[in-house]
Amino acid sequence: MPQQAMPPLAMTWLMASLVMVMLPHVPRMPLWILLVYALAALWRLQMLRARLPMPAVAIRLLCGLGGALLVWLSFGTLIGLEPMVAVLLVATGLKLLEAVRLRDGYVLVCLGLFLAITQFLFSQSLPLVLWIMLSSVLLVTALILLNQTPGTRLSYRQPLLALRMLALAVPMMVALFLLFPRIDPLWSLPSRIGQGSTGMSDVLSPGSVSRLARSADVAFRAQFVDEVPSPSERYWRGMVLNRFEGGAWRRTDMRQLPPNEQTVFSPDRLSAAIRYRVIMEPSQQRWLYGLPYAQSNSPGVVASPDNHLLLQEPITGQFAYDVETWLGVRVDQALSPWRRDYEQQLPPGLNPRTRAWVAANGATTPRQFIERVLAYFRTEPFYYTLEPPPIADEDFVDRFVFDTRRGFCEHYAYAFVVIMRMVGIPARVVGGYLGGEYNPVNNTLIVRQFDAHAWAEVWLAGEGWRRVDPTAAVAPERVSLGLEAALADDPGFLASSPLSAYRFKGIGLINWLRLRYDAVAWRWQAFVVGFDSDRQIRVLQSWFGELRPGWFVMVLFGSALLVLLPLTWWMHRVRRAPSPLATERRFAVIAEQLAQRGMARGPAEPPLRFLKRVRHYLEKNDPLLLELEQAVSALYQTPAQFNSGSVEVKVQHSR
Amino acid sequence: MAAVKTPAGTLLFAPLTAPLQRRYQRWLRRRLPPARVITLEQRRLFIFPTRAGFFFMLALLVMLLAAINYQNNMAYGLTFWLAMLFVVAVHFTHGNLLRLTVVAVSARSAFPGQRAEFRLQLRGTQRRGHCGVRLLWPESEAFVDVPPGADVTVNLFLPVTSRGWFVPPRLTIASVYPLGLLRCWSYAQLDMRALVWPKPLTPPSAVITDASSSGAGDANQSGNDDFLGFRDYREGDSLRRVDWRGWAREQPLQTRVLASPQSTHHWLDWAHFPQGDTEQRLSWLCWLALHYDAQGQVYGLRLPTVTIEQGTGPRHLEAVLTALALYGVSDRPRGAL
Repeated sequence: MPQQAMPPLAMTWLMASLVMVMLPHVPRMPLWILLVYALAALWRLQMLRARLPMPAVAIRLLCGLGGALLVWLSFGTLIGLEPMVAVLLVATGLKLLEAVRLRDGYVLVCLGLFLAITQFLFSQSLPLVLWIMLSSVLLVTALILLNQTPGTRLSYRQPLLALRMLALAVPMMVALFLLFPRIDPLWSLPSRIGQGSTGMSDVLSPGSVSRLARSADVAFRAQFVDEVPSPSERYWRGMVLNRFEGGAWRRTDMRQLPPNEQTVFSPDRLSAAIRYRVIMEPSQQRWLYGLPYAQSNSPGVVASPDNHLLLQEPITGQFAYDVETWLGVRVDQALSPWRRDYEQQLPPGLNPRTRAWVAANGATTPRQFIERVLAYFRTEPFYYTLEPPPIADEDFVDRFVFDTRRGFCEHYAYAFVVIMRMVGIPARVVGGYLGGEYNPVNNTLIVRQFDAHAWAEVWLAGEGWRRVDPTAAVAPERVSLGLEAALADDPGFLASSPLSAYRFKGIGLINWLRLRYDAVAWRWQAFVVGFDSDRQIRVLQSWFGELRPGWFVMVLFGSALLVLLPLTWWMHRVRRAPSPLATERRFAVIAEQLAQRGMARGPAEPPLRFLKRVRHYLEKNDPLLLELEQAVSALYQTPAQFNSGSVEVKVQHSR
Repeated sequence: MAAVKTPAGTLLFAPLTAPLQRRYQRWLRRRLPPARVITLEQRRLFIFPTRAGFFFMLALLVMLLAAINYQNNMAYGLTFWLAMLFVVAVHFTHGNLLRLTVVAVSARSAFPGQRAEFRLQLRGTQRRGHCGVRLLWPESEAFVDVPPGADVTVNLFLPVTSRGWFVPPRLTIASVYPLGLLRCWSYAQLDMRALVWPKPLTPPSAVITDASSSGAGDANQSGNDDFLGFRDYREGDSLRRVDWRGWAREQPLQTRVLASPQSTHHWLDWAHFPQGDTEQRLSWLCWLALHYDAQGQVYGLRLPTVTIEQGTGPRHLEAVLTALALYGVSDRPRGAL
């Protein structure tokens, strides 16, 4: 096949659709990559107008190497999803510069499809999927434009054809999606790097929770089988922070526990459990959240000795797990001596004023002491605020309890646990979320980042670990009504989510749409994105009963036939040939037109003779002559085979 | 796959070695017999992925590997969607050529070394258009769209070499529309032929005088250009004598009358050239015919088999040239078929 040039229309269309495909990558990529693409596209447009030449091979090669080097400098590595995407983006940009042949067009389309796939490695949300579907229609349109005859104009036809072809591919795609075996990864590929983790962090210091209150992003959603627990029970336990070090509460590494401490929560199966399914948004952390105390059999979920759930690997995509919770169950009623000692440790010497206060306010029982501390928080002028004055002091608790008295939940939990440990009560900080918006459409609680919360757990003899939320003593509405009510006038609330639909929930219609959409997003996550091999087997079993290979083949071929049979019929259907009458009428009309030009058909003159006669008086490519030729050949069914009735005989010298 | 099989008779064509190639050609001839009007039914159509198609499949494979290794359902979805698009494209590419009709309209005569014009017509089906149709002959190709229900006339030119009937080679009708990932094609042996006249060669000068002296009068070469005046155009006048300049000035069509066109009468006689072989003799006669026609003289042809009475004008010239071209040639086209 000869080397064909790429049609200019296809080139411009391709550039635009590539922009569409790469647009969702923009926030993840350094700015210069966009500049590279924009410059390459502009250069290519100038090449189309013949104002700039194609850069020489050496320059293109240098640009490629330079691009790879810049990616390496920007990310510090070339291994990882982001650098790989960056290299792909740079390569696409540079490929534009040398895309002049038809086959380069196919390469660019395939690059675009690769870019589309990489988008899904970062997010599989519904809007992104719709965006990529739209981009795919544009890329397929580009394929069509590559194969048009030169001079064809762009019209609605080409995108419509692409849409039609892609629409016809959908039923077979769905069948393949359902039936294609979900095999385990063949080898491991680079994962995301430099992705800042979101949500609660496992280091609790003043300010670490309040920053989350600025965001209305969804942390996770939980769909309940039965009734949703009341607001004061919605303590989503995430991580246990029982090690005080460097002015912050930290978690204890499971592997550092003595072997006999590594027992995990096992519920008594007598009482009825609350069952629900949680879908976490990617957090890049390992914490899973559940109401206390939770157990999960979902693959990959591990129970920790501190009675919370975690994942073996950081959550990079949406992650779904099923949870059973026994509210109010008592755990660790007997505390081992090691554990008892560990949960009381506190660095000596810090916070002398608090120590003095603790000594002065001693109580006979731990329960009495807890009440006394909570009463102190309640009665003294403590304030619940998002923007407390910063305390840069080793004796944080002293400054907070006696001087500033303004703080967010982490300040109260922090101080409370320190005070408890001062008198020898085993205590620890628990990080997680408190609350969740109820969506009646699908019986779901939507928990957002601003619901992040920290509270305390104290161990009491005969009771085990008991949850104590010192924040509730200061701002009881935080627990019963949620953060929004507690912080009605705080300017920092939702400061980084200015356009979140959550802000407009006061408007009835928007709120209705918002909750509907959230229910759709839930279904999408639960049934499409989370469609794994377990679910696949369950779905197929529920449809076909026992799974037999024959069924797979039948469904696959059945879906193919469902589309292809009508398609085949539609293409092969025979259109009736124009009737002889119509052919004669057409000939008569042309003869009439010729008569008006002074070339009347003689009475009963055979059409072929008429044609031969008329041919002498008309220009070779007179449209009327061509029409007459067609009409006559239609009349005779077989056209004149040998016709050299030409009058222009020219002698040309042979080459 | 079911999809490839559904259009029954769609065949996969693989390159074949020489003996197989001959067999394949024989089979093709049987399967695709020559005709003047050829409608591309499904049994005539072949389909196979193009290089771009194989590249696309490779890209799909890489995408599938990414989907498996990242266990990403949307990546699976997109990969399957595009794979099924390929299956749908088999139908669309096949359907694009299906029921397209190729008609052999006409073939023009030519001298050896020239290119003969072959006029073909593509007729679309009523409903669907046929886009990006390529008509391919070894030295000539066309790339056209056929709108629904329309006829498109295509002129292709093939070089001709020797006197007699020229039968064009098998025409390839191909299209990669709409996606370029698959190529659908068919072969058509169109029942059409072009007449190739003898190559005009200047005869030995002695012969010219012989030939002219054998006429009724002397050829007054100089008088040939003596302009006498104009008269109204009559049917049958040589177009060379028409006063086109006057016509361009919107005057009525007139013919120039020259001094002595009627005075010379010639015979182009086979017997006048005893020295050459058959082709040479025909070439000389051909040259003379063109020569006399250019001068507007009256001439006739005498061949051992055919005699054409003296006359003038383009139709006469054509008759003479045709007789020369077909001398010793059977009316049935040679070879090829």
